[in-house]
Amino acid sequence: MSTETEELSELDLSKFFDRPWVCIVWDDPVNLQSYVTYVFIKLFGFSKEKAHELMMKVHTEGKAVVAAGSREAMENDVQRLHEHGLWATLQRDDHGGV
Amino acid sequence: MGEFKGTPATGDLTVALSNDELHILINLVEQLLELLGERNFAHHYQSDDPFAQLMAAQLMNMEPLSAPEDPVLNRLLPNAYADPDAADEFRKFTEPRLRQIKQQHLMYLREQLVFPVDHELPKADILISDAQQWLLALNDLRLALAVRLEVEPDTFEEYELMPDSEPKKSLLAVYFWLGGIQEKLLDHL
Repeated sequence: MSTETEELSELDLSKFFDRPWVCIVWDDPVNLQSYVTYVFIKLFGFSKEKAHELMMKVHTEGKAVVAAGSREAMENDVQRLHEHGLWATLQRDDHGGV
Repeated sequence: MGEFKGTPATGDLTVALSNDELHILINLVEQLLELLGERNFAHHYQSDDPFAQLMAAQLMNMEPLSAPEDPVLNRLLPNAYADPDAADEFRKFTEPRLRQIKQQHLMYLREQLVFPVDHELPKADILISDAQQWLLALNDLRLALAVRLEVEPDTFEEYELMPDSEPKKSLLAVYFWLGGIQEKLLDHL
Protein backbone atom coordinates (compact mmCIF):
# COMPACT_ATOMS: atom_id res chain seq x y z
CA MET A 1 0.00 0.00 0.00
CA SER A 2 1.46 3.35 -0.95
CA THR A 3 1.66 6.29 1.41
CA GLU A 4 -0.64 8.25 -0.85
CA THR A 5 -3.49 5.76 -0.47
CA GLU A 6 -3.12 5.74 3.31
CA GLU A 7 -3.38 9.48 3.51
CA LEU A 8 -6.44 9.44 1.29
CA SER A 9 -8.27 6.85 3.40
CA GLU A 10 -7.46 8.82 6.55
CA LEU A 11 -8.85 11.97 4.97
CA ASP A 12 -12.08 10.25 3.98
CA LEU A 13 -12.47 8.85 7.48
CA SER A 14 -12.05 12.23 9.15
CA LYS A 15 -14.57 13.73 6.72
CA PHE A 16 -17.03 11.03 7.71
CA PHE A 17 -16.65 11.74 11.40
CA ASP A 18 -16.55 15.52 11.09
CA ARG A 19 -19.58 15.99 8.86
CA PRO A 20 -21.89 13.03 9.32
CA TRP A 21 -25.19 14.99 9.49
CA VAL A 22 -26.96 17.39 7.14
CA CYS A 23 -29.81 19.88 7.52
CA ILE A 24 -32.33 19.87 4.66
CA VAL A 25 -34.91 22.53 3.78
CA TRP A 26 -37.99 21.29 1.89
CA ASP A 27 -40.10 23.22 -0.60
CA ASP A 28 -43.55 24.43 0.40
CA PRO A 29 -46.09 26.52 -1.55
CA VAL A 30 -46.41 29.20 1.15
CA ASN A 31 -43.07 30.71 2.16
CA LEU A 32 -42.18 33.64 -0.10
CA GLN A 33 -39.00 33.27 -2.15
CA SER A 34 -37.74 36.61 -0.82
CA TYR A 35 -38.44 35.45 2.75
CA VAL A 36 -36.60 32.13 2.35
CA THR A 37 -33.58 33.97 0.88
CA TYR A 38 -33.70 36.46 3.76
CA VAL A 39 -33.79 33.66 6.37
CA PHE A 40 -30.83 31.86 4.78
CA ILE A 41 -28.75 35.05 4.94
CA LYS A 42 -29.87 35.77 8.51
CA LEU A 43 -29.28 32.28 9.94
CA PHE A 44 -26.27 31.07 7.97
CA GLY A 45 -24.54 34.30 6.93
CA PHE A 46 -24.64 33.34 3.24
CA SER A 47 -24.02 35.97 0.56
CA LYS A 48 -27.16 37.16 -1.22
CA GLU A 49 -26.13 35.19 -4.33
CA LYS A 50 -25.52 31.96 -2.40
CA ALA A 51 -28.79 32.35 -0.44
CA HIS A 52 -30.74 32.98 -3.65
CA GLU A 53 -29.12 29.97 -5.34
CA LEU A 54 -30.05 27.67 -2.41
CA MET A 55 -33.60 29.04 -2.31
CA MET A 56 -33.99 28.31 -6.04
CA LYS A 57 -32.64 24.81 -5.46
CA VAL A 58 -35.27 24.20 -2.78
CA HIS A 59 -37.95 25.60 -5.11
CA THR A 60 -37.00 23.70 -8.29
CA GLU A 61 -35.67 20.42 -6.84
CA GLY A 62 -38.02 20.22 -3.85
CA LYS A 63 -35.24 20.32 -1.25
CA ALA A 64 -31.68 21.45 -0.60
CA VAL A 65 -28.97 20.72 1.94
CA VAL A 66 -28.30 24.04 3.69
CA ALA A 67 -25.80 22.94 6.37
CA ALA A 68 -23.62 20.00 7.38
CA GLY A 69 -21.88 19.16 10.64
CA SER A 70 -22.35 17.39 13.95
CA ARG A 71 -25.76 16.07 14.93
CA GLU A 72 -25.98 18.65 17.70
CA ALA A 73 -25.21 21.52 15.31
CA MET A 74 -27.78 20.28 12.77
CA GLU A 75 -30.44 19.89 15.48
CA ASN A 76 -29.77 23.49 16.42
CA ASP A 77 -30.06 24.64 12.79
CA VAL A 78 -33.34 22.75 12.32
CA GLN A 79 -34.76 24.39 15.44
CA ARG A 80 -33.80 27.86 14.21
CA LEU A 81 -35.35 27.13 10.79
CA HIS A 82 -38.56 25.91 12.48
CA GLU A 83 -38.67 29.13 14.51
CA HIS A 84 -38.65 30.93 11.14
CA GLY A 85 -41.39 28.71 9.72
CA LEU A 86 -39.24 26.86 7.20
CA TRP A 87 -39.83 23.16 6.76
CA ALA A 88 -36.51 21.57 7.76
CA THR A 89 -35.26 18.14 8.82
CA LEU A 90 -31.91 16.60 9.67
CA GLN A 91 -30.49 13.24 8.67
CA ARG A 92 -27.25 11.33 8.31
CA ASP A 93 -25.32 12.49 5.30
CA ASP A 94 -25.28 9.63 2.81
CA HIS A 95 -23.94 11.64 -0.13
CA GLY A 96 -20.66 12.92 1.27
CA GLY A 97 -21.12 16.54 2.31
CA VAL A 98 -22.94 19.52 0.86
CA MET B 1 -53.03 50.41 3.42
CA GLY B 2 -50.34 48.08 4.68
CA GLU B 3 -47.61 50.49 3.51
CA PHE B 4 -44.29 50.61 5.33
CA LYS B 5 -42.01 53.64 5.81
CA GLY B 6 -38.57 53.97 7.36
CA THR B 7 -36.11 51.26 8.44
CA PRO B 8 -35.31 49.31 11.62
CA ALA B 9 -31.74 50.71 11.54
CA THR B 10 -32.99 54.28 11.89
CA GLY B 11 -35.67 53.24 14.38
CA ASP B 12 -38.48 54.83 12.36
CA LEU B 13 -40.08 51.80 10.67
CA THR B 14 -43.85 52.27 10.58
CA VAL B 15 -46.79 50.52 8.97
CA ALA B 16 -50.10 52.16 8.07
CA LEU B 17 -53.13 49.95 8.78
CA SER B 18 -56.84 50.70 8.63
CA ASN B 19 -59.18 49.81 11.47
CA ASP B 20 -60.61 46.90 9.43
CA GLU B 21 -57.13 45.58 8.70
CA LEU B 22 -56.19 45.82 12.38
CA HIS B 23 -59.28 43.83 13.34
CA ILE B 24 -58.57 41.12 10.77
CA LEU B 25 -54.97 40.78 11.98
CA ILE B 26 -55.90 40.75 15.68
CA ASN B 27 -58.53 38.11 15.00
CA LEU B 28 -56.01 35.87 13.20
CA VAL B 29 -53.36 36.38 15.90
CA GLU B 30 -55.80 35.46 18.67
CA GLN B 31 -57.02 32.34 16.88
CA LEU B 32 -53.47 31.12 16.34
CA LEU B 33 -52.52 31.92 19.95
CA GLU B 34 -55.46 29.84 21.13
CA LEU B 35 -54.41 26.94 18.92
CA LEU B 36 -50.77 27.13 20.05
CA GLY B 37 -51.87 27.16 23.68
CA GLU B 38 -52.92 23.52 23.50
CA ARG B 39 -50.54 21.05 25.13
CA ASN B 40 -48.29 23.85 26.26
CA PHE B 41 -46.28 23.07 29.37
CA ALA B 42 -43.47 25.51 28.69
CA HIS B 43 -44.35 27.79 31.62
CA HIS B 44 -43.44 25.04 34.08
CA TYR B 45 -39.77 25.48 33.24
CA GLN B 46 -39.75 29.11 34.28
CA SER B 47 -41.72 28.91 37.46
CA ASP B 48 -40.31 29.33 40.99
CA ASP B 49 -43.24 27.33 42.30
CA PRO B 50 -41.91 23.97 43.65
CA PHE B 51 -45.00 22.11 42.46
CA ALA B 52 -44.60 23.49 38.94
CA GLN B 53 -40.95 22.43 39.01
CA LEU B 54 -42.00 18.96 40.08
CA MET B 55 -44.43 18.84 37.16
CA ALA B 56 -41.67 19.99 34.81
CA ALA B 57 -39.43 17.22 36.14
CA GLN B 58 -42.22 14.76 35.39
CA LEU B 59 -42.50 16.19 31.91
CA MET B 60 -38.82 15.56 31.27
CA ASN B 61 -39.29 11.91 32.18
CA MET B 62 -42.40 11.41 30.13
CA GLU B 63 -42.78 9.42 26.97
CA PRO B 64 -41.67 10.91 23.63
CA LEU B 65 -44.12 13.49 22.26
CA SER B 66 -45.83 12.56 19.01
CA ALA B 67 -46.60 15.09 16.26
CA PRO B 68 -49.69 17.29 16.84
CA GLU B 69 -52.86 16.04 15.15
CA ASP B 70 -53.99 19.46 14.00
CA PRO B 71 -52.44 20.07 10.57
CA VAL B 72 -51.75 23.74 11.38
CA LEU B 73 -49.78 22.80 14.50
CA ASN B 74 -48.07 20.05 12.57
CA ARG B 75 -46.89 22.63 10.02
CA LEU B 76 -45.77 25.18 12.64
CA LEU B 77 -44.15 22.53 14.86
CA PRO B 78 -42.93 20.03 12.26
CA ASN B 79 -40.99 16.81 12.77
CA ALA B 80 -37.22 17.31 12.75
CA TYR B 81 -36.53 13.73 11.63
CA ALA B 82 -38.13 11.54 8.95
CA ASP B 83 -37.91 8.64 11.40
CA PRO B 84 -40.99 8.97 13.68
CA ASP B 85 -39.24 7.65 16.81
CA ALA B 86 -36.33 10.07 16.47
CA ALA B 87 -38.79 12.89 15.69
CA ASP B 88 -40.89 12.15 18.81
CA GLU B 89 -37.82 11.97 21.05
CA PHE B 90 -36.50 15.28 19.71
CA ARG B 91 -39.94 16.89 20.01
CA LYS B 92 -40.13 16.06 23.71
CA PHE B 93 -37.21 18.40 24.39
CA THR B 94 -37.81 21.10 21.77
CA GLU B 95 -41.53 21.53 21.10
CA PRO B 96 -42.39 23.42 24.32
CA ARG B 97 -39.73 26.04 23.58
CA LEU B 98 -40.70 26.35 19.91
CA ARG B 99 -44.33 26.90 20.91
CA GLN B 100 -43.29 29.48 23.45
CA ILE B 101 -41.20 31.42 20.91
CA LYS B 102 -44.07 31.49 18.40
CA GLN B 103 -46.50 32.56 21.12
CA GLN B 104 -44.16 35.37 22.16
CA HIS B 105 -43.97 36.72 18.60
CA LEU B 106 -47.75 36.63 18.27
CA MET B 107 -48.34 38.26 21.66
CA TYR B 108 -45.89 41.01 20.73
CA LEU B 109 -47.69 41.57 17.41
CA ARG B 110 -51.02 41.63 19.22
CA GLU B 111 -49.72 44.26 21.63
CA GLN B 112 -48.63 46.44 18.69
CA LEU B 113 -52.01 46.06 16.94
CA VAL B 114 -54.41 46.57 19.85
CA PHE B 115 -53.10 49.98 20.89
CA PRO B 116 -54.78 51.94 18.04
CA VAL B 117 -57.94 49.81 18.38
CA ASP B 118 -58.17 50.42 22.13
CA HIS B 119 -57.79 54.15 21.45
CA GLU B 120 -60.49 54.00 18.75
CA LEU B 121 -58.26 55.43 16.04
CA PRO B 122 -59.80 55.07 12.54
CA LYS B 123 -56.39 54.17 11.13
CA ALA B 124 -52.91 53.83 12.54
CA ASP B 125 -49.26 54.39 11.74
CA ILE B 126 -47.75 51.77 14.00
CA LEU B 127 -44.13 52.29 15.01
CA ILE B 128 -42.57 48.84 14.66
CA SER B 129 -40.20 48.33 17.58
CA ASP B 130 -39.10 44.81 16.58
CA ALA B 131 -39.28 44.10 12.84
CA GLN B 132 -38.01 40.52 13.23
CA GLN B 133 -40.89 39.56 15.51
CA TRP B 134 -43.33 41.14 13.04
CA LEU B 135 -41.78 39.19 10.18
CA LEU B 136 -41.87 35.84 11.97
CA ALA B 137 -45.37 36.34 13.37
CA LEU B 138 -46.73 37.35 9.93
CA ASN B 139 -45.09 34.27 8.42
CA ASP B 140 -46.68 31.95 11.00
CA LEU B 141 -50.08 33.54 10.33
CA ARG B 142 -49.65 32.90 6.59
CA LEU B 143 -48.57 29.29 7.21
CA ALA B 144 -51.58 28.69 9.45
CA LEU B 145 -54.04 30.22 6.97
CA ALA B 146 -52.45 28.32 4.08
CA VAL B 147 -52.96 24.98 5.83
CA ARG B 148 -56.63 25.74 6.57
CA LEU B 149 -57.22 27.01 3.01
CA GLU B 150 -55.24 24.12 1.49
CA VAL B 151 -53.02 26.47 -0.49
CA GLU B 152 -51.18 24.84 -3.40
CA PRO B 153 -48.73 26.31 -5.94
CA ASP B 154 -51.63 27.15 -8.35
CA THR B 155 -53.98 28.61 -5.73
CA PHE B 156 -53.51 32.19 -6.94
CA GLU B 157 -54.77 31.30 -10.44
CA GLU B 158 -57.78 29.51 -8.89
CA TYR B 159 -58.45 32.53 -6.68
CA GLU B 160 -58.48 34.92 -9.63
CA LEU B 161 -61.09 32.78 -11.42
CA MET B 162 -63.30 32.35 -8.32
CA PRO B 163 -66.68 34.12 -8.32
CA ASP B 164 -67.09 36.67 -5.50
CA SER B 165 -69.95 34.56 -4.12
CA GLU B 166 -67.49 31.79 -3.24
CA PRO B 167 -67.01 32.00 0.58
CA LYS B 168 -63.37 30.88 0.38
CA LYS B 169 -62.50 33.86 -1.83
CA SER B 170 -62.51 36.47 0.95
CA LEU B 171 -60.31 34.26 3.14
CA LEU B 172 -57.86 33.75 0.29
CA ALA B 173 -57.90 37.53 -0.22
CA VAL B 174 -56.69 37.92 3.39
CA TYR B 175 -54.00 35.30 2.79
CA PHE B 176 -52.65 37.05 -0.32
CA TRP B 177 -52.93 40.46 1.38
CA LEU B 178 -50.75 39.12 4.24
CA GLY B 179 -48.20 37.92 1.68
CA GLY B 180 -48.11 41.43 0.21
CA ILE B 181 -47.54 42.94 3.66
CA GLN B 182 -44.72 40.49 4.38
CA GLU B 183 -43.10 41.23 1.01
CA LYS B 184 -43.26 44.99 1.68
CA LEU B 185 -41.84 44.52 5.17
CA LEU B 186 -38.91 42.53 3.72
CA ASP B 187 -38.19 45.41 1.32
CA HIS B 188 -37.64 47.65 4.37
CA LEU B 189 -35.24 45.30 6.24
